[in-house]
Amino acid sequence: MTLSYSDIFSDHLANPRNAGELADADVVAEETNPVCGDRLRLSLRIRDGRIDAARFLAYGCPPTLACGSAIAEMIQGTTIHEATKLTKNEIVAAVGGLPSRKQHAASLAIETLRAAIIKHASEDGE
Amino acid sequence: MLTPSASQQQPRFGSRISDAWTEISVVMRKVYLDHSATTPIDSRVLEAMLPYLTEKFGNASSVHMFGQEARAAVDKARRQVASLVGARANEVVFTSGGTEANNLAIRGICEVAKAHGRHVITSAIEHPSVRGVVDEIEKEGWEITRLPVYDNGIVRIDDLRAAIRSDTILISVMTANNEIGTNQPIAEIGALVVEEREHGHRHLCFHTDAVQAAGRLPIDVQALGCDLLSLSAHKIYAPKGTGALFIRRGVRLAPQQVGGHQERERRAGTESVANIVAFGTAAELAKKEMDQRNDHTRRLRDRFETEVEDRIPDIVFNGDREQRLPHLSNISFRFIEGEGLLIHLDMQGVAVSTGSACSSGTLEPSPVIRALGRNEELARGAIRFSFGKDSTDEDVDYAVTALLRAVESLRELSPLSRKSLVAN
Ligand SMILES: Cc1ncc(COP(=O)(O)O)c(C=O)c1O
Repeated sequence: MTLSYSDIFSDHLANPRNAGELADADVVAEETNPVCGDRLRLSLRIRDGRIDAARFLAYGCPPTLACGSAIAEMIQGTTIHEATKLTKNEIVAAVGGLPSRKQHAASLAIETLRAAIIKHASEDGE
Repeated sequence: MLTPSASQQQPRFGSRISDAWTEISVVMRKVYLDHSATTPIDSRVLEAMLPYLTEKFGNASSVHMFGQEARAAVDKARRQVASLVGARANEVVFTSGGTEANNLAIRGICEVAKAHGRHVITSAIEHPSVRGVVDEIEKEGWEITRLPVYDNGIVRIDDLRAAIRSDTILISVMTANNEIGTNQPIAEIGALVVEEREHGHRHLCFHTDAVQAAGRLPIDVQALGCDLLSLSAHKIYAPKGTGALFIRRGVRLAPQQVGGHQERERRAGTESVANIVAFGTAAELAKKEMDQRNDHTRRLRDRFETEVEDRIPDIVFNGDREQRLPHLSNISFRFIEGEGLLIHLDMQGVAVSTGSACSSGTLEPSPVIRALGRNEELARGAIRFSFGKDSTDEDVDYAVTALLRAVESLRELSPLSRKSLVAN
């Protein structure tokens, strides 16, 4: 209904999934798009190699908010292994498609997820 | 199991917002607060133009009676538009809009005056249709001085005085800004230009883009001392695609559309008679109803600002709050980004605008807000609300409620905000 975005996209904006921060997160990662300043923060609770809970916070243009909502919803309940295989295109599809000039929002989501996984792995190994 | 429905059964953090949404869809209003982008056509204007789209279809250049009828209508409209700004009818050239008027003014003068100098002075907050032409001529080798505006969004006459050189041939400073509404000291600029000319600076011209100011500020080209002034019909309740350039008698400029004798050789092309008639009628109404419209929009705008200030923390008003157009409010909402706010408002039926755009991972924060010295976050969070003669108190109430809801939900999501809550 708004601009050229899909209904699923608008729904992510109106009803963000898994928004917020986890008080008992095992890992929190925040990435910033250095060019436009958009930010995404993911906080994950991890139990036995599985993302037991995922929350997101986002600042930036609507695609960044929608992709944050989509990725937090998609990874909750998956194994870390499955989460590492998630691609940018899957995020784009989950928000009903994005114009090419807004694809960077999905990249930011993937980068933040990978940063969280790497951070968790390195902290775990210590 | 990487599917969007994986957590559908989960209680959603956003469920409160979602309930609010259901509520909204039941009582959704359409509230248009973007009158600086364009205005709806006044029914009286539509009525005046309709015959020229139907039975009175003549070409104003034709000799026969169909043509004469159209010619008379265009002439009348020219007088009406001239009267809005205190000009003579033959000083008004109709164009396809404000953008063309600005192009014609700047390119037209530069082409004629280049033998006398290649320096142009403008402001840092011009509309893209001025900024763009100036950027182009800069690439062609012209020197440009862009006057700063300081935190109140207004150029200073002393800066202008210091910037004028013997090879300056044009000053182009807008009458009032389109994003923040600030009024520029154009009467002082006009007086300075007159003074310069008296001291032998004969080739200095002064152009002002009055597209946003027309119908809102009383404009008198004689008192202002400007040589060129741009207007646009669709900002004063007439259709899009028509505008005018006031060209002071005696000012020479090179036409940018050639190949026809229309508009006394200054703008070739068959006149858009119906649109011009509409523009004339709208100009007459704007002049007649100016005070009434201004009182109305100022009251609504001021009440809107008071309510927003009372109910939403962490906001910054952009632009001088005294020296500005009465219908416009520009506010930065901290911790959130304008486009998201715009879409949240749009989903609730409230139409506003933002000056920033984020594309291909590069951000273009509003150059106007940046010129005020605001940081990127504030520049990105700036929203323009612009009221119109037909806006109502109910519109204000609804918009404030919608805004409150939108700002709250975006702040809950924002990692920059202390409002982002801890959820489990
Ligand atoms: C200050 C200013 N100048 C010029 C224009 C361009 O006018 P038009 O839309 O008629 O081309 C606008 C309209 O957006 C404006 O606000």
